[in-house]
Amino acid sequence: MLNETLKLSWHIVRRNWWVYRKDFLANISPTVTDPAFMICSLGLGLGSYVSEMHDRTYLQFLAPGLAVGTAMFTAFFETSYGFYIRMTYESVFKAMLATPIGVREVILGEFIWVALKSALMVFGVSVVFLLFGQFQNPLNLLLTPVVGILVGVPIGAVGLIATCYVRNINQFQTVYSFIISPLYFFSGIFFPLTQMPEVVQLFAKVLPLYHGVVLCQSLYWNENIAAVWLVHVPVLLAYSAALLLWAYYKVLSKLQA
Amino acid sequence: MQGSRRAHAPPLRSFRQIVEQLSYSEAVLDIELGLCLIYGMHSSPVVSIEQIRKSFGLFEAVRGVSCRIEAGECFGLLGPNGAGKSTLINMIYGASRRTSGKLEVFGMDPNVSSRAIKARLGVVTQENALDEGLTVRENMELYAAFVGVPARERKQRVRDLLGFMNLAHKENEPIQTLSGGMQRRLVFVRALLGKPELVILDEPTTGLDPAVRHLLWGKVNQLKAEGKTILLTTHYMHEAEVLCDRLVIMNKGEVIASGTPKDLREAHASGYVAVFETGEDFAALRTGAGSRSYQVLEDSSGLYVRAPRLEDLLDLQKEHGRQALQLRPSNLEDVFLKLTGPELNVDA
Repeated sequence: MLNETLKLSWHIVRRNWWVYRKDFLANISPTVTDPAFMICSLGLGLGSYVSEMHDRTYLQFLAPGLAVGTAMFTAFFETSYGFYIRMTYESVFKAMLATPIGVREVILGEFIWVALKSALMVFGVSVVFLLFGQFQNPLNLLLTPVVGILVGVPIGAVGLIATCYVRNINQFQTVYSFIISPLYFFSGIFFPLTQMPEVVQLFAKVLPLYHGVVLCQSLYWNENIAAVWLVHVPVLLAYSAALLLWAYYKVLSKLQA
Repeated sequence: MQGSRRAHAPPLRSFRQIVEQLSYSEAVLDIELGLCLIYGMHSSPVVSIEQIRKSFGLFEAVRGVSCRIEAGECFGLLGPNGAGKSTLINMIYGASRRTSGKLEVFGMDPNVSSRAIKARLGVVTQENALDEGLTVRENMELYAAFVGVPARERKQRVRDLLGFMNLAHKENEPIQTLSGGMQRRLVFVRALLGKPELVILDEPTTGLDPAVRHLLWGKVNQLKAEGKTILLTTHYMHEAEVLCDRLVIMNKGEVIASGTPKDLREAHASGYVAVFETGEDFAALRTGAGSRSYQVLEDSSGLYVRAPRLEDLLDLQKEHGRQALQLRPSNLEDVFLKLTGPELNVDA
């Protein structure tokens, strides 16, 4: 039973991969080039005005957060615009659901896909940063995909939940402006949270992205990895479980009228 | 169906006679046949629907429908847009959950055993829903995987069915390069990949030209000959007449008539029909036909007069000095229009 569910979900992952790899270069390039350009403009440009941040250069501070940010955008766009287009414009699921695939397999398949894609993104961006010499210990690169999965699943769930609530594709813009953007700018990617009033700090620490950023920073800076992961991984797992369940029941009622 | 079986069955003998005259296996066969005759038993239906209902909020799309689809028959589900045909079909393959009533497909409840049921049926969905990002072969191999065709057999299965639907030459093309008719044929291929026992055709020929429609009808008849059970929804009465062994006509969520196409014609619209052009003064014609108690139906497309015999209509033409646009035997469309009423166009 479970075995069959996993097998069918995996076919959905394969389907998404087949479509993705058709335009692999076009699909992967922004995710790798954007951080590279950001490094140049923010890290080298703005960074020259910023003397030091927590005993490291601005570039060193910025890099891990940017990598995690890529995972967030990947996950959100995949399950919001991407899933919505598959569901409404392309009617992909209508035909799928007439086969032994059920809504459960569709959702599980989409989550596995989003987790893998987010993992790939964090890893890909980190490889670029490794070449820029941003890793104190290059071996830590191997753990970056885990951060991608831990961030990709809860953010992917947010996208899926949004997909169930929006009345048309334009309304994703609102979700982006009021949820994804604030997450990006207030999760300690661009500056240490200690700069901010305590209310804002608390707000940021409640949200999931901050925990992903901290995990990634520990890998890049090679600092207290075990201790940091012991605290922040459970938080992200809890987020993943709760949001995944919410998304599951929303999509279930959406696809199985 | 039952009638024809009865005609072919040998006359009943006593058990003793059977045992004396026949070998053991033949005896068993004969006893089974005898029991079938005695109890009127026949193989269980592929789909059995009893008093099924489906509501979406306050709107009740299906309102107490009952019917049975027997193995090997082509069963038609007819009705205007919004009659509840698609809702009913969605419930059969578990894409939608019924509000109340009993539903069994292959003897199983779709709310419980949706996956096992779907493994044994194939659906030609109303929308093509082909994966535009993939080629013809990729689309089909993916679906072959979905319906559980083992990896090593997928390529051949896809190839065979593409051949069956005359699409072999398009194997490596992207979906966008296929014409509407080709895409529809490909949806047939997709529905057949799992060697389904029940094939559901949800408006299979809507929007297609007559040539493609005829080609698809031929394929459906081939599937019937292979012993597959077929459930067809359509707006085209002619299509139902050509393909269906039995059918029900639905309107506003209810079954309003059922039977073979011939039964329905005879019960609801027997005889011949003359169609007179719209825009002319119908009054005299209408009164003339009415006084002879012919059926008269007038809508924006013209005046339809139905009489028992062709001669009656020829007389009517002569009497009023008018030439009908069409003179023809009545068909399912007349049944449909009579039962669902001309006002159906307003809601549709």
